[in-house]
Amino acid sequence: MEASTLGWVANMAASVGLSIAILVLVSLGLSVLFGMMGIINLAHGEFLMFGAFATLAGVRSGLPLPIAMVLATAVVAGFGWVVERALIRHLYGRLADSMLATWGLSLIMSQVAVYVFGPTTQGIPTPGGSLQVGGYSISVYSIVLILAAFALLGMVYAVFTQTRYGVMARAAVQRPQMASAIGIDPRRINALTFMLGAGLAGAAGALLAPMVGVMPTMGEAYIARAFMTVVVGGSGVLTGAAAASTLLGGVENVVSYLSTPFFGQAALLVLAICLVRVMPTGISGRLRRKL
Amino acid sequence: MIRILPWLAALCLAFLTQSPAIAADKEPIMVGSVLDETGGLNVYGKAMADATKLAIKSINDSGGVLGRPLKLVTYDAQSDNSKYTTYANQLALRDRVAVIMGGVTSASREAIRPVADRNKTLYFYNEQYEGGVCDKNVFTTGIVPSQQIAPLVDWAIKNGKKKFYVLAADYNYGHISADWVKQYVTKAGGSVVGTDFIPLDVSEFGSVISKLQEAKPDVVFSLLVGGNHIAFYRQFAAAGLSSHMQIVSATFGLGNEQVVLSPKEANGIVVAFPYFQELGGASNDKFRESWTKAYGANYPYITDSAVAVWNGWHLWAMAVEKAGSTDRDKVIAALESGVGFDGPSGKVSVDAGTHHLVQSVHIARANESHGFTVIGDQQSVAPGYERSVCNLIANPKMARQFTPSNAN
Amino acid sequence: MKSSNSTLRLRLVTCAVVALVCLALGVLMPEFAVMQATSWVLYGLLAVSLTLVWGHGGIFSFGQGAFFGIGAYAYSLAAINFLPVTNETLSSVVVATLAAAMLAVLVGYFIFYGNVGDVYVGIITLAMTLVLFTVLSSTADPKYHIGQAQLGGYNGISGVPPLTLPLGDGGTALTVVQSYALVVLVCALVAAGLYILLQRPFGRVLTALRENELRTQLLAYDVRLRKLIVFATGGAIAGVAGALYAAWAMFISPGVFGLSLAAQVVIWVLVGGRVSFAGAFVGALLVQSVSFALGGGAGDATPIVLGVVLIAVVLFLPVGVVPTLTRYFASRFGSKAAQMKSSQETDSGIQRLKELPFQSHSRGAALTAVGLEKRFGGVRAVQEATIKFEQRGVHCLIGPNGAGKSTFFNLLVGRFPPNRGAIELEGRPITSMKSHDRVRSGLGIKLQVASIFNDLSVRENLWLAAYGRLRNSASADRRSAELIDWLGLEERADDSAGLLSHGQKQWLEIAMVVATEPSVILLDEPTAGMTREETARMAAMVRLLGQAVSVIVVEHDMEFVRALDVPVTVFHQGSVFASGSLDVLRHDERILDIYLGRHGKEHAA
Repeated sequence: MEASTLGWVANMAASVGLSIAILVLVSLGLSVLFGMMGIINLAHGEFLMFGAFATLAGVRSGLPLPIAMVLATAVVAGFGWVVERALIRHLYGRLADSMLATWGLSLIMSQVAVYVFGPTTQGIPTPGGSLQVGGYSISVYSIVLILAAFALLGMVYAVFTQTRYGVMARAAVQRPQMASAIGIDPRRINALTFMLGAGLAGAAGALLAPMVGVMPTMGEAYIARAFMTVVVGGSGVLTGAAAASTLLGGVENVVSYLSTPFFGQAALLVLAICLVRVMPTGISGRLRRKL
Repeated sequence: MIRILPWLAALCLAFLTQSPAIAADKEPIMVGSVLDETGGLNVYGKAMADATKLAIKSINDSGGVLGRPLKLVTYDAQSDNSKYTTYANQLALRDRVAVIMGGVTSASREAIRPVADRNKTLYFYNEQYEGGVCDKNVFTTGIVPSQQIAPLVDWAIKNGKKKFYVLAADYNYGHISADWVKQYVTKAGGSVVGTDFIPLDVSEFGSVISKLQEAKPDVVFSLLVGGNHIAFYRQFAAAGLSSHMQIVSATFGLGNEQVVLSPKEANGIVVAFPYFQELGGASNDKFRESWTKAYGANYPYITDSAVAVWNGWHLWAMAVEKAGSTDRDKVIAALESGVGFDGPSGKVSVDAGTHHLVQSVHIARANESHGFTVIGDQQSVAPGYERSVCNLIANPKMARQFTPSNAN
Repeated sequence: MKSSNSTLRLRLVTCAVVALVCLALGVLMPEFAVMQATSWVLYGLLAVSLTLVWGHGGIFSFGQGAFFGIGAYAYSLAAINFLPVTNETLSSVVVATLAAAMLAVLVGYFIFYGNVGDVYVGIITLAMTLVLFTVLSSTADPKYHIGQAQLGGYNGISGVPPLTLPLGDGGTALTVVQSYALVVLVCALVAAGLYILLQRPFGRVLTALRENELRTQLLAYDVRLRKLIVFATGGAIAGVAGALYAAWAMFISPGVFGLSLAAQVVIWVLVGGRVSFAGAFVGALLVQSVSFALGGGAGDATPIVLGVVLIAVVLFLPVGVVPTLTRYFASRFGSKAAQMKSSQETDSGIQRLKELPFQSHSRGAALTAVGLEKRFGGVRAVQEATIKFEQRGVHCLIGPNGAGKSTFFNLLVGRFPPNRGAIELEGRPITSMKSHDRVRSGLGIKLQVASIFNDLSVRENLWLAAYGRLRNSASADRRSAELIDWLGLEERADDSAGLLSHGQKQWLEIAMVVATEPSVILLDEPTAGMTREETARMAAMVRLLGQAVSVIVVEHDMEFVRALDVPVTVFHQGSVFASGSLDVLRHDERILDIYLGRHGKEHAA
């Protein structure tokens, strides 16, 4: 009996943890851009898709999966830099216009993906196999994803607190004119920040690729939920993403389990609406730490 | 006054760019097609569009219809339902086609139907769906649950598996097909221990897999649809469940799932369709040859939807020949008088009263090489449920869709 | 005012002419084109609803598609049920419009009375759209029905009746051309109605709201109510468009609630020009016809072309197509450009400060703050602040930075509620009143940074302030003329307020405050950024105001405070430290300590 309960608990924990981890991965990049730059990037889902396809291409040409993932992230980050220089930098402070332009970008990116990769869904098999815990099977890769989510959160924290770039970026967000006055070049910082956001989206795509179907429209399924998470989380990049993902992902998973995935989805959306109404500056707006 | 000018100019420009259709010579017969070639549904629509072009070419190469070539007008609805209404109108009113073939999802079919009916333009819906359409002006060539689900359930029961868990996409097709599964399973002496409806944009199945592990069914009956739902098979295999639960599915394969998944992930999944690329027969060999010539040997997989489209065009062409005219009522009469042929999937014929097809259904298992191995078949399966509720010869004015719960 | 009436007339005439041209085209064009045009005109109407809500109301709503969808669904459900009974479906159109409007009121109340910020309005409306999509997609089961109409889930509702008139047996359905005519008529009426609405005071307050929401609130306008009205109207317009659309397609599915349509509406409005109703139609027409043409030819390339077009419009035509064209034509025909008068001109007139511009019934009132406390996180910005301000006369609040003056000021203004304590105006508690209600009750507020409507003319600025109090257009006209006269700004009355010099802007704002007939005036650092001369004049002005009402001034500039020669209260670490005359306090050692930060007694606040 005990083993079975242990199994059930382990299974639930893994399941809920996975839901949360996926939300964290998917929204972290968006959160960086929103929190640090006030930009809403409607092409975020397509950056994610790009990362997934890049990983696919890497694996197909013979690279081991982890290397392919890292390379894919780098490629997407590089692409992010190009996009920032060409398009985004004209749109700071123009919220609606940035949404529109990135929407246009998303249309282009997803159709180009169809041209290059074809419209059918593709994928890589999930590595790792499964663990048996008290009568329940848990896929090893879901554990990997949970760990990866933590790792990325930690990495972003390290970047923002330990590197020169990180300190400058935070300064530039808090007091842009002051930062500029002490010699920080906001344009370079912004380019780097956008690169970071894009890279995180690419990493999310790379990590998700072995678990889902990779197709040019896969971004669409994530963009809405990523949005909700970011908005509920507020402008604190880490605290916001972590707190909101935990809350929303946990609720969605539990409600789905208790009833149907439809109600789980609906619950997430309704909860998000209520939270935004009650805490307009997001969860992180309530917390003291600003990062 | 100045302010009017830009607005008026733009208006006139927009209306005038609606150039009238190219002055059609008397010779070709105009036919129309609307499918989703871009957007989320192009996974299904692309193969259907390719099949459309190939079918027209094949008909024209054999001399056309009534000695006249077919001229195809095709529109891409971009996975947007509102465009279906628009393009259907266009085909009926401006291009004046003799027949419209199109629609991928049932929603798109329901968008086309009222337009085709109002303009008295014949309409063919060539795709598997939940069944029950009963409309004098409409013919469907796709397989329906009463043809497809019973064989699958029978196969599972015959192999000693009695506990079923149903996973269905959360929309009409999923709900109605799930109802059918329950009916057939109960009739065959099995039991359904759980049902879950998954919204179309969900790609994370953690909670579902948890529930499966608790319910411990013998069979998971999958009615999952779309690119996001592929993730289920992957996550199912990753959790190591394929060793103790058999998956049978009425939808696996339509979106080339077996191409995407690795053999380990897809191995053993059992499906039932009229058409598989691996079928034998002279007709299929010829069909595959022309397909390869047109689209290359690297084409992912020729889906059942593509062949449903192929069948539709050929049946229509035969009916027009039989009727001696493209007049809608005459063609309908010809179709109802019994038209059929030996197609790539075997013998198909139009079922007069229901406007569906009597066709063979093959059972197959996903294999090691991203394809299917045929393991059984049923010949000349009639659309049983449709026959029980729909008789368009006796009720020619009917134009609705029946569902199991509102059949009466 | 004369010029705006003629603009209105021009617009209405344009509206009628275009409608007639469209009707004529409806007769001349082949039937399929008319069919097509009907849907584009309806999309244009949907775009108009967003133009109203966003371009005029400043509310970035991603949810217009949702109201469109509600209208479509409501019409479908109503028409299927009513048609057999009433032999017509026009009543269903009305029902649908009301349904959409009601939803808009509900959502609007939720949003605007909850003080949700701009971006979040967009997110909430988007979330609402997605929720509706999710919910309606799952109604496939036959148990989901309203009367005779099945909701149909993802497949949608089929067999929706077209527009039907109650003539003859079973009603007569309108033909394609007749439906088109009705749609054009409805659009023309809506456009005309909106033009008229925006011409009225409501419209002008809306412009102000868009310009500077805070200042609008501080002129006693209930901003939330106005936003709600605009939002509800936008919802109703989208609803009627949706109802007519369902009748046109004879079909509706949950796809109408998708992300795609929600974004497309924004695209149409951005392409057409955010503020122009004509632009809304043009934008929808252009984008839809391009996408339509592509679907018939370029197939695969459609999304790419659309994406490129979007980016191009954003980067190169940021104000939209129609305004760009209009400006081009306007400059070609040489209409007068804005005359940039040199703002180096010496300030005219404001020497004549002998008396207040009009004999208002402004008499002073006593403002009392008792035990006010305000915490931000762990910091107590204001604690135990108790002051009684006299009914008339000037009173200064001083203190070093971080002493809590600004927070105290904001508590009086009503920017945020206190954690503890009460504020009374003439014995009436106003602690729980929002800012606009406080202004209505007699509080006049001038902020540190001149908060006026930069894009509106001087005259319009004053008119809005006067209307806020008088609520009568003609009286407001008169009052604003008096004020222009008093300020001596007759020559600049019709220039944009943003073109005034810094000092002139400050005076303008004071005049606007005076126009609200306050009994207590709150001034936040009125001399910030002023020259010596201007400061002296400000002192005269403040003294003048103090003769009639109570004036509370927060100040840093000691010269100015001394020049005023009035009672002073010193703030320190969030509470009242001392009160009295400046002469006495100047010699108090403790005050010097506070200002100079001497001695170890103080710890950092």
